[in-house]
Amino acid sequence: MTDTQWETYEVFHQTKKGDAHIHVGSVHAPDPQMALQLARDQFARRLKCTSLWVVPSRCVTATNYQDEDFFAQTTDKSYRDPKAFGAPDKLDPHAD
Amino acid sequence: MQTNFPSQLPQDGIRTLLLAMADDELVLGHRDSEWTGYAPILEEDIAFSNIAQDEIGHSLVWFTLLTPLTGLTPDQMAFERSYEEFTCCRFVTHPKGDFAYTTVRQYLFDEAERVRLTALSGSSYGPLKEAAAKILREEAYHLMHSKGLVERLGDATEESHRRMQAAVDLAFPQALGMFEPIDGEAELQKTGVFPGNVTLEHEWLNNVVSVLRGASLKLPIQQMNGKLKPQCKPELGGRKKSHTAHLQQLVDDVQLVYRMAPGGKW
Amino acid sequence: MNMQERAPEEKQADFEARINRGERIEPGDWMPEEYRKSLIRMIGQHAHSEIVGQLPEGKWIPYAPGFRRKLTLIAKVQDEAGHGQLLYRAAETLGKSREEMMDELLTGKAKYANVFNYPTPTWADVGAIGWLVDTSAVINQTMIAQGSYGPYARAMKRICYEESFHIKQGYDLIVAMANGIPEQRSMVQDAINRWWYPTLMMSGPPDSLSLHSKQALKWKIKTKSNEQVRQEFVDLIVPQIRALGLDVPDKECYYDEKTGHHHYTQPDWEELKRVVSGDGPCNAERLAVRRQAHEEGRWVREALAAKGEKNRQDRSAA
Repeated sequence: MTDTQWETYEVFHQTKKGDAHIHVGSVHAPDPQMALQLARDQFARRLKCTSLWVVPSRCVTATNYQDEDFFAQTTDKSYRDPKAFGAPDKLDPHAD
Repeated sequence: MQTNFPSQLPQDGIRTLLLAMADDELVLGHRDSEWTGYAPILEEDIAFSNIAQDEIGHSLVWFTLLTPLTGLTPDQMAFERSYEEFTCCRFVTHPKGDFAYTTVRQYLFDEAERVRLTALSGSSYGPLKEAAAKILREEAYHLMHSKGLVERLGDATEESHRRMQAAVDLAFPQALGMFEPIDGEAELQKTGVFPGNVTLEHEWLNNVVSVLRGASLKLPIQQMNGKLKPQCKPELGGRKKSHTAHLQQLVDDVQLVYRMAPGGKW
Repeated sequence: MNMQERAPEEKQADFEARINRGERIEPGDWMPEEYRKSLIRMIGQHAHSEIVGQLPEGKWIPYAPGFRRKLTLIAKVQDEAGHGQLLYRAAETLGKSREEMMDELLTGKAKYANVFNYPTPTWADVGAIGWLVDTSAVINQTMIAQGSYGPYARAMKRICYEESFHIKQGYDLIVAMANGIPEQRSMVQDAINRWWYPTLMMSGPPDSLSLHSKQALKWKIKTKSNEQVRQEFVDLIVPQIRALGLDVPDKECYYDEKTGHHHYTQPDWEELKRVVSGDGPCNAERLAVRRQAHEEGRWVREALAAKGEKNRQDRSAA
């Protein structure tokens, strides 16, 4: 069966300037410019939006859930956690 | 009727102009909405439904400007008037056809809107000037969408080219009817309300010719004395309330349920 | 140790433990083949329901009385396409293409919510669908939004937000007509009479009769039984119908003080079987329309794809 549904583009949506772009879903589109337009109609017709990114799904490289070891942090790493030190919080301009 | 209407401006002419635009948008928006559930692909179904809502929404804006000039609400004007009183161009009343015809029609209309609304954004009649500037911003997206489709479908495949050329052959003479002169146009021009259809048509022709030819589509047009001149018979009559049978059916449909309890609770 | 190196029984036990802990399953996670197949079937059916569901109400767009109703109805039917789009995408994450799913729908191989096989002969039906059918849908969808498969649950959250607009516009339409002229009021009662049982059937047959329900519950694809969802719907909607001075088309429907629920008559499950297997009033018509739209749009999809491909090649050659 020939697939006439077009390839998919992942859509990233920025609500207002200063916010990060958030992944909201994907659209089928024949090219990047149409992907932007179709994403606008599917994902921004109600939500406020200042910017959209579209990326062909085939361009996304992702980790594999089956390879849990990719994220393994099994030995002590407290040396890089600011809470692991006895120093007073007042030193930190960001402490509440 | 509006009591604080600027005395130096032609109220009749403004009413005529607003009604022509309101009727154009309502009828085209209605035709556009016929694609909801039937578009070639899901994403386009969603996209085109936005365009349909926008066009009908624009019609509502124009009818709202007419309320102080007629004493009638938008619903009364759209849902209680006989089709014989409509002043839309015949172009927008034709059935939606295939997606090629719809796309070409939408593009030709969007390009005309851009030209007309840009001009009206400088109108001497305040309410018209404000509304035109607002609508123009939404129309930018329509033009991007319809122009994008024309540019792509015009020469993509042998079949798309054939259908798009057939659509242009049919739609172009019809589209010229958008610029049919309206009553009181000279007054509107003199008072700075509206630059007149002749001016708008020239600018529109320059734009559409380059886009359509760029998409490998032929037009019955010739360059004469530095100006582009259509070489076909325009489909006129709409502004003079001479309509196709399609409009009668369309208005019957639009008003079908409403007529059960006109002005009632819906 | 990686998942690939474990024995199948261990993987299955692990998977079920994750489900029981309320964890989400994502595309790419190991999952039993039965889970994958069930989800594809369920999500696909849900997606098909949305796009077939555009037709019964979409039919009334040309006739909508007044600007507000016309605009609102276009927006509502547009949302249904949007929901279909989100759901097909969720199903695609499980390895099935949208083209394949469309083909199954159009050749009658796939099912969709039987409620959309009923006709909409009057404008009041638009209100009845928004109010009754969408309320039932939201109860179901809110539950699925808590379900185990990530993409499906996320799609549901988005969809539920838009559905609240659907219910409100439907209810608003019904209330307006119920307060209108006698002909409008009787049109509303007639629509409620016709949509009551088809809506009850939407929640699915009693779980004792449903093959798929038990499995879906076990894997937390859904978290309530069909009966629970149906009871929730009845308890919610009956007081609303009565508050409008309209009749519930079920003489046996009454509030039971002891249980705190409304007693109601079960729908005719034989009718459901008939309608679902293609013998409903509009099955053939609905599919024919979708098939026609799909075929007539083929040249457009192919042309835009060809143009996209050409542009891509031109760009890489540059």
